[in-house]
Amino acid sequence: MKNSMSRRQFILAAGALAGSAVLAGCGGSSTSSSSTSTSTDSSSSSASASDDSYTLVKDGTLTVVAELGFAPFEYMNDQTGDPEGFDVDVINAVAEKMGLQCEYLPNQKFDTLVPLIKQGGKADVSIAAITITDVREESVDFSEPYLDSNQAIVAIKGSTETEATLNDASKQVVCQGGTTGNDWITENLPNATCVPVDDVTAALTGVQTGLYNAMVVDLPVAKYMLTNSFSDLDIIEEIATGEQYGIAISKDNPNLTKAVNKALEDMKSDGTMDSIETKWFGSTI
Amino acid sequence: MSHMHENAMTRGESHHTRCVPALALALSVALVLVATLALLPVSALAMTTNKATARPNEDGGSGVIGAMDTRLTWEGTVGDDEEVSSITLSLPEGATFDHASTRITVLDGLNRTSIDGTATSSGNSVDVQFSEGIPAGSLVRLEITNMQFPADGGDYVVSGGYTTADGQSHVLDDSAAITVIANTPLQAAVSWLDAQPWVAAWNSNPFLGMFFKPQLLLTSFASLFPGWLVCLGIVLACYPFAIVLGLAFAMLKTSRHKVLRAIAICYINLLRGTPLFLQIYIMFFGLPMVGINIDNNVLGVIVMAVNSSAYLAEIFRAGIQSIPQGQYEAAASLGMNGFQTMTSIILPQTVRRVIPTVTSDFITSYKDTSLLSSVGVMELMMFSKNLTTTTGNITPYMAAAIYYLIVTLPLIKVVGIIENNIARSERGGGPRPKRRAVAGASQQASKAEEELTASAEVSHVEAAKPAADVFAALSAPFVSHPTVDLGGVADGE
Repeated sequence: MKNSMSRRQFILAAGALAGSAVLAGCGGSSTSSSSTSTSTDSSSSSASASDDSYTLVKDGTLTVVAELGFAPFEYMNDQTGDPEGFDVDVINAVAEKMGLQCEYLPNQKFDTLVPLIKQGGKADVSIAAITITDVREESVDFSEPYLDSNQAIVAIKGSTETEATLNDASKQVVCQGGTTGNDWITENLPNATCVPVDDVTAALTGVQTGLYNAMVVDLPVAKYMLTNSFSDLDIIEEIATGEQYGIAISKDNPNLTKAVNKALEDMKSDGTMDSIETKWFGSTI
Repeated sequence: MSHMHENAMTRGESHHTRCVPALALALSVALVLVATLALLPVSALAMTTNKATARPNEDGGSGVIGAMDTRLTWEGTVGDDEEVSSITLSLPEGATFDHASTRITVLDGLNRTSIDGTATSSGNSVDVQFSEGIPAGSLVRLEITNMQFPADGGDYVVSGGYTTADGQSHVLDDSAAITVIANTPLQAAVSWLDAQPWVAAWNSNPFLGMFFKPQLLLTSFASLFPGWLVCLGIVLACYPFAIVLGLAFAMLKTSRHKVLRAIAICYINLLRGTPLFLQIYIMFFGLPMVGINIDNNVLGVIVMAVNSSAYLAEIFRAGIQSIPQGQYEAAASLGMNGFQTMTSIILPQTVRRVIPTVTSDFITSYKDTSLLSSVGVMELMMFSKNLTTTTGNITPYMAAAIYYLIVTLPLIKVVGIIENNIARSERGGGPRPKRRAVAGASQQASKAEEELTASAEVSHVEAAKPAADVFAALSAPFVSHPTVDLGGVADGE
């Protein structure tokens, strides 16, 4: 019996190992093969035309990945489930300028966006109110900034919390994982417990129910969410960070960055950008 | 502010000949103005230092470690009537701004102004020349990435100076002190790894570098440890409750009363029929809404205990029902009542049978604590998620996997051994008092038995368990040596 048991265990273990090896192998080979195939495809199709050819995951399509819970920048329409928002309009306009179709991948967690673009093969660009930071620039390239932003501290209405009182070991400050709000808390409220969660709604609900003392989130998002769904919360402090959003693009695809920058520049000069800003924020910024 | 005051004064004086009350009014207006301005934060003539902070560079921790790259953020406000053209920041000896890059942000209120500049860093100071003068009242933020504090640790203040557009130099106020931790042995080990050529070669492979970066694996192990303790703590704390609750509901489910059975069935089916993730969300966001506020970790223990109690109830019920009817009859023939039968005959036998399944459930519960990370319980996954977020590398997840495996692999092994022992003892083998008397024969027999049953399928043994158990129990006093392959003989029962 002992023999048979250990044999069974061995087979299980071997199976598991082999399985994982196959999976790993699959993953590796498939991504590399797909990326090489696309690169050869587009280089053969467009390399003859000019030197600034770029590769796309899917020919003729700009594949976009985002965290679709960051209104008014990107969120899913209640009825259709389609992504919409400021960023969605921007990237659609960019794709249009580049003569491409724009296609969104399914919703991804915010903290996976930069690694996903870095790794390549799944999406061409990520536009998700991503602040251009030095740390992120080590992993990916960014387009020229397309919008300026700031941070806000959100707490329940009537709360007496301030930046100073929040910096205390008894306080829990929530944020969306991987955001600049997350960085801001760890750097500016070192004594408080920073709780990164996956999405803004979960964080704000937590603040609403008293699970957390406050949330740090991008100011435009705070304003939008507080007007539309969390009327019992309040912005207790606006943090002037002057951070800038950029479109994340793989470092292996510098020509795509150039093309996106060109499109953004055109949009600024021909008024497209202004009209999108007016549509979402009521005025140009 | 004194500037404004003077203006008001002159205005007041020019009118005093005509009307004395006007002077009084002007004076009071001036006083009010002074008072309001004094309350405003931006009120100084000269440039003020708002704050200086450093980005925590302790993996998973919140400390700033010396002699390791970090980012210094300095914020200041330009005085009321000056225009700043350059700023110099300096730190005490030992800090270094070499290889640092500086990001400049100039803000007017919440709006960014497009002022750029060039930073030149040398040793422990950095000098920033702006492309144009920064207007009065603006907020200036300098983020200096990849600078290092002195290795010794301690409290450091950022000092420095600035020049105005008219060429005058001024001294900046010292910032509040930044507390820096001395470089730790762990960091020294990481620095050592950084210098190794094989590490560089290893990391240059995209897969290995992304999933198994040695430096990060090392720091991850250290910083994930508290999360691992929380995981273990939660599952160890929840399990006794889960067992008690599970046993209670198993009893209810096997009860003769319809209502009790219905309650148990509802409880078990609801909990087994919905994802744990959902239960966690309901408990963590629902309870505070109805005014019940419980500490996150305690609530985690409660959710896990309730969830696994449903699974355990089913395991115990199956265990109890697998004890053959003959045991109840035998107990009844000895004059035992229902309670005695349960506690002294049925449950002891059940425990033996359910141990492997309960251990499997324990493993599942232990792994499922990872779901608590989504609601902010600081457990293993939460720590590794944070680390992955800050490093953009998958390695912390691999370290977490190892932490999970440290517990689960031995447990899986234990389940195997227990199953083995139960199967053997239920066939009449295994370590029993009678075995010692005939040790030699027994060993021979169990060897022969092993060879015989080595090829026998496991399900066959499982199916034969109840029959073997009764027979072994009844015949134990009479047999002189362990019988061989009873399972086959008693298969008919």
